[in-house]
Amino acid sequence: MNPAATARRLKSPGEIRRYSTIYHDRLRSARGTRAVLSGLENLVLTGSPYPSGRNIANDEVIVLKDNFLTTDLPTTCASHILEGFRGSATSMVGRLLQDAGIHIVAKTNMDEFGMGSYSTNSARGPVKHGFDSLEQSVGGSSGGSALVVAGGLARFAIGSDTGGSVRLPAAYTGILGFKPSYGRISRNGLIPYANSLDTVGIMSTSVKDAISIYRILNKHDPADPTSLDLNSRARIEHAKLSRSRVPDHAASDQVSVRVIGLRDKKESARLSLEAGMRWKAYGRQYFTKRSWRIGVPDEYNIQEMHPWIRIAWLKTLSVLQDMGNDIVHISLPTTQSALSAYYVLAPAEASSNLAKYDGVRYGIPRDAELADNHEGVLYAHHRGQHFGDEVKRRILLGTFSLSAGAMDNYFIQAQKVRRLVQQDFNNVFTVPHPLLEASTGNPEGVDFIVVPTAPTLPPLLSELKHQSPLDSYVNDIFTVPASLAGLPAISVPVVADDDLPPTSDKNIGMQIIGQFGEDMPLLNFVRDTVEAIDPPRPRETDSRIWTARRF
Amino acid sequence: MLRRWYCHRFVSTARLYTSSLCAQRKCFSTSTHCRFHATAVDEAEVAPLRKQLKDAARASRHQQVSDTNGKDQLRRERLKDWELTVGIEIHAQLNTSSKLFSRASADWTDVPNAALWPFDMAVPGSQPLFQPPVLIPALRAAIALDCDIRPRSKFDRKHYFYHDQPAGYQITQYYEPFAVNGRVTLTQQDGLAPEEGTLHIGIKQVQLEQDTARTQQHDEETSLIDFNRSGHALVEIISLPQLHSPQAAAAYVRKVQSILYAVDAATTGMELGGLRADVNVSVRRFDGATGNHSYSGVTGLGQRTEIKNLSSFKSVEDAVCAERDRQIDILEAGGKIEGETRGWSLSNPGATRRLRGKEGEVDYRYMPDPDILPLHIDNDLVAHFRSTLPPVPDQLLDMLRLSYGLTADDAGALLNLDNGTRLLYYQDVVSRLTPSSNNNKTAFGVHVGNWILHELGALLTTTETEWHPDLIHAQQMSDLISLQLKGQLTGPSAKKLLRILFAGEKEPVSVIAERENLLFQSMNDQEYVELANRVIQDHPKEVEIVQKNSKQAQGKLKFLLGQMMRHGDRNRMEAQRAEKTLRSILMP
Repeated sequence: MNPAATARRLKSPGEIRRYSTIYHDRLRSARGTRAVLSGLENLVLTGSPYPSGRNIANDEVIVLKDNFLTTDLPTTCASHILEGFRGSATSMVGRLLQDAGIHIVAKTNMDEFGMGSYSTNSARGPVKHGFDSLEQSVGGSSGGSALVVAGGLARFAIGSDTGGSVRLPAAYTGILGFKPSYGRISRNGLIPYANSLDTVGIMSTSVKDAISIYRILNKHDPADPTSLDLNSRARIEHAKLSRSRVPDHAASDQVSVRVIGLRDKKESARLSLEAGMRWKAYGRQYFTKRSWRIGVPDEYNIQEMHPWIRIAWLKTLSVLQDMGNDIVHISLPTTQSALSAYYVLAPAEASSNLAKYDGVRYGIPRDAELADNHEGVLYAHHRGQHFGDEVKRRILLGTFSLSAGAMDNYFIQAQKVRRLVQQDFNNVFTVPHPLLEASTGNPEGVDFIVVPTAPTLPPLLSELKHQSPLDSYVNDIFTVPASLAGLPAISVPVVADDDLPPTSDKNIGMQIIGQFGEDMPLLNFVRDTVEAIDPPRPRETDSRIWTARRF
Repeated sequence: MLRRWYCHRFVSTARLYTSSLCAQRKCFSTSTHCRFHATAVDEAEVAPLRKQLKDAARASRHQQVSDTNGKDQLRRERLKDWELTVGIEIHAQLNTSSKLFSRASADWTDVPNAALWPFDMAVPGSQPLFQPPVLIPALRAAIALDCDIRPRSKFDRKHYFYHDQPAGYQITQYYEPFAVNGRVTLTQQDGLAPEEGTLHIGIKQVQLEQDTARTQQHDEETSLIDFNRSGHALVEIISLPQLHSPQAAAAYVRKVQSILYAVDAATTGMELGGLRADVNVSVRRFDGATGNHSYSGVTGLGQRTEIKNLSSFKSVEDAVCAERDRQIDILEAGGKIEGETRGWSLSNPGATRRLRGKEGEVDYRYMPDPDILPLHIDNDLVAHFRSTLPPVPDQLLDMLRLSYGLTADDAGALLNLDNGTRLLYYQDVVSRLTPSSNNNKTAFGVHVGNWILHELGALLTTTETEWHPDLIHAQQMSDLISLQLKGQLTGPSAKKLLRILFAGEKEPVSVIAERENLLFQSMNDQEYVELANRVIQDHPKEVEIVQKNSKQAQGKLKFLLGQMMRHGDRNRMEAQRAEKTLRSILMP
C-alpha cells in the first residue's frame, strides 16, 4: 500500500473513526504520512521524510522495529540508555529493502530490547490500540510493527522474533507474523537480545506480501557470521528431496536438474543426479505436493488454554483435514521444559549483550551527580538509572545463571534441554534436519505442525498490571520451542466463531511450524490453504478458517 | 590530539557522538566520563618507560646491597625446607595486521581511534567476523611451542566491566582452546641454575583472545581511551605449575619470547609492551604434608596467589621471589595463605601487594559466544606450517655448535644478544668469508665468533655503545678477519683496525690498513741481524749464560728475544724469525 493509498483509505469515514481524526488533514502528502506515523507516538517511535525526488506514489513503504539500525532515524530499542543513538550503517535488512525500492518510513515501538510479551516495557510507554476503544494488548515485543500493519498504515513491517516476538503480536492484532529459520535473514545491524535465538520477522496482512518480502531478505550475508552460507542453503534444498524415495528404475535416467551452490563439486553432481531422478519419476507433481501430513502435538493441549482458542484450533484442523491433509498425533515431550530453558538461555545471552551499555561511547550520557567514583562499582549507577525494570530483571537472571556456582545447574542444563527440543522436532518431521548429519527424517513423520500461537486471547492492559513477570513468561509457552530449535514458524489469524464480529479482543493466531530450512514450503502451504479456504469472495461462505483479516 | 581520544571522567562534562563511528578517520569529541578504576596495574602501565627503567636500576642497586647482609643469608638457608611452585600465563601480541574479529587494520598508528570498525567499539548491531590471517602467527606459535593443534576450537566471552573493554567482555578461548599439550625446554643456556639441570615445562593450552583498548591517564579525573588496540589478536600461553625457582620462571618467559620471535609469531616483546605475564605462586614444605590444591593434573600444591601484569623478565623473577618469601613468612608464623590477586611494581620490587581477595574476585561468567562459529583448522594447514617453520632457538643452538664449531656459551650468547640481529650479522660475516664452494663453516666460525662476540663485545662495553649491524659493515668485518688470517695483520694491528672501523670509518679495510701503515711487512734478514747484535751488545751477562748452555740458558734466550721484540717494530716482526736469528748468532 503506497502512502497515497494510505491517505485515501484513512480519509474514508470508517477509517477515520478508527484513527484519531486529528491526523487525517496532514495526509495529503508523503510528509503528511510521516506526520501520522510520528503522531501515533505509542506505536511509532520515529518517522522519516521520504528521499526527495522519488515518485513515492508508486513505491511501497515499510516500518522497522526500533532495534534495526538506521542511519537517518535514531535506533533506541525503546530504551533510555540508547537515547539518540544512530547507527553508522543501515542494517542489512534495511539495505535490502531499500535496494528493492521500499521506503523505511518509521521505527516502531517495542518492549525494551525485545524483552516482553505485550509491548508495555517501553521507555516511551506501552503500545496501545488507540483506534479501538478497547484496551487490548497488542502483544510483544514487536507490538508497534504489528499495529502499523493491522491499522493499514503500512503494508508490511519488520519485527524481530527471539521467543515469539513477531508471532505473538501478529496473533493478538490479527495479522500474519512469520519467523523464518534461524540464519535465513541477516541479523547484521539488528541489535541483539539473544543472538542464538534472534531472527528477523516479517509481518503483513497477506501471505503473498510476506513471501515477497521474504524473497527480498532471504540472502546470505557474509557480514553476519550466523547467516546460512551457500553450502548450507544447498543442503537445505537437498534435504527436501527426502520427502519421497527414488525408485530404483529411475537411477539410469538422465539428469535435468542441477543442485547449485555446493562447494564440493562431486557432492553437487551427486545431488543433482538424485534431484534429476526425482524430477523424472514424479515430475512437477512432486514439487507441488498438495496433500500434507499435519502434526498435532498432545503436549500443546494444556489445561490453561482459552476455550475459544481450543475451538479455533480444532476447527482449523478439521478444515485442513477436509482439504485432504492427514492429521497426525505427535508427541514433543520436551515442550514442558522448553519454556524454562528459554528463560535461562535468553537472559544469559542478554546479560552478556547488554554489558556494552556503559554510557562511555554512545547512548545517553552519564549523569554527573550519579557518576561512579572510586568507591562505587563501575557503571552501576548509569545502568541502574537507564535500563527498565524488565531489562534489569533479565540481566540479573542471566548474570546469575552464568555465574560460577550456577552455570552447571542452569545454563548447561538449559542447553541440554535445547538439544532435546531440537531432537523432538527432528523425530517427528519427515524431512531431516539439513545441517545435522545424524538426522535422517521420519518416513512416518509430518510435514508441518499446527498449534495455537498463544494459549490466551489478548489480555486487557489493565489486567497486565496485576500480572507477575512469571505469568507473562508463561504466555510464550507455544512460541519458544520453535525458537529454541531455530525452526520457521508463522502465525496466521483465525476466527473462533464465524458468527462473532471480528474485534481485537477475539484475535486468535494459529501457528504453523516447519522443519529447519522449510521456509518456502511453509509459506506456500499457508498461501495455498488460505487461497483455497478464503478466496476473495463474500465472507458468508462457510469453512473459512484463516482470514487475512482487515480492520 | 586530545580530540581523538575517548575520555573517561569522574565528573560528567560533555558527551560524545557515535554517528560517525564507521567512518575511518572521524574525530570523536572528548569527554565522556566514567569512574577511573585505579589499580596497581594501571599505574605501572601508564608510568613513562624512562621512569620505569630508572626505578628498576635503583631497585636493583638496592637489592645488591641488601643481598649481602646476614638476614638474606638466613633466608636462603630456610629455602632448603620449602618448595616453590610457579605457573605462568603469558599474553603475547601476534604479529599480524588483522584484528581478531574486525576488518580494521591492526597496524600501528599514533593517531588515536583512527581506523576503527564498529565492532572494535562494541557498537550495537555489529558482529564479530573472524579474520583468518591471525591464524598464521597463532599456528606458528603453537607449533613452535610443541602443542597439539585441535581441529575444532571455540570462542567464549569472559565478562568484566572496565573502560578498556568496550563490549563488557573479552572474546577468548576458555572451554575449547585451539592448541593444547605443549612443551618448552629450559637449560643452563636459558639461565637456569646448574643444579636445576634441564627442565621440560608443560604448556596446558594456547588460546586466541582479544586485546583491550589502550588507556592513558590524562589528569586526575580523566583517562583517555584509544580503541585502536581494542580487538588486536593475542595468544595466551598457559604453563603447567612446573617451575620451581624465580630464575626458572624468568628463564621460561624469556624462552617463550625468544621462540615467538624466532618463528615470527610476535615482534614486540616485553620491553615494548607486547608481552605480559601473570604468575601463579605457591609454596609447600618439602617434608611436610602435601597441600590439597591442584591445577590441571598437578596435585598436592599449596594455596596459590596470582600476580598480574608483569612486563619484564626481571619483574617476573623479582615478583616470584618476593611472593615466595611473603608466603613462607606467613606459613612459618603459623598463618594461612589466602587465594588472592596481587600486584607488583618496579618501585617496590621486594614485595607484592594485595589487589583483591577471593571475595572481591571477578566471576568472569564464561559463556560460549553465540555469534562466533567454531574454528576448524585443517590438518593440511597445520602440516604446512610445521614444514615451513623457521628454526626455534634450540635448533639454532645445535646448528651453531655443530656447523659453526662454536662453544655452547658463545652460541647461547649469539642467540640471546640483540634480538637475534647479532646472530644474523655473524652468519653474514661467516658466509662472506667462506668460499661458495666450501660448506664447511667451522673453518671460520670460531674465529668470527671470537671477533664479533669478544673483540667487538669488549668495544661495545667499554664505549657503552648499543649494538647495531651497521656499526661495522659485515664486508669490512670479514675483510679484517680475512687479512688477519692471511697473516697480513698482526693481532695488535687487527685490533687497532677494529677500533678505527668502530669509530665509523667507512672506507675499504685494505685502504685503511695501508694508510695507517698496519699491514705486516716483514723485516729482512739484515735488519734482524742488526737488531740481534744490538741486543747482544746491550746484555753481555745474559749472552754469556746462553753461550755456556747452562741451566738458565733457555730462560735467558727468551729474555733476549723479548728485548728484540721490544726494540724492533712489532708490526713488522715475527717472533719465530727473531728467535731463529738470535740462535744462529749465539749458538752457531
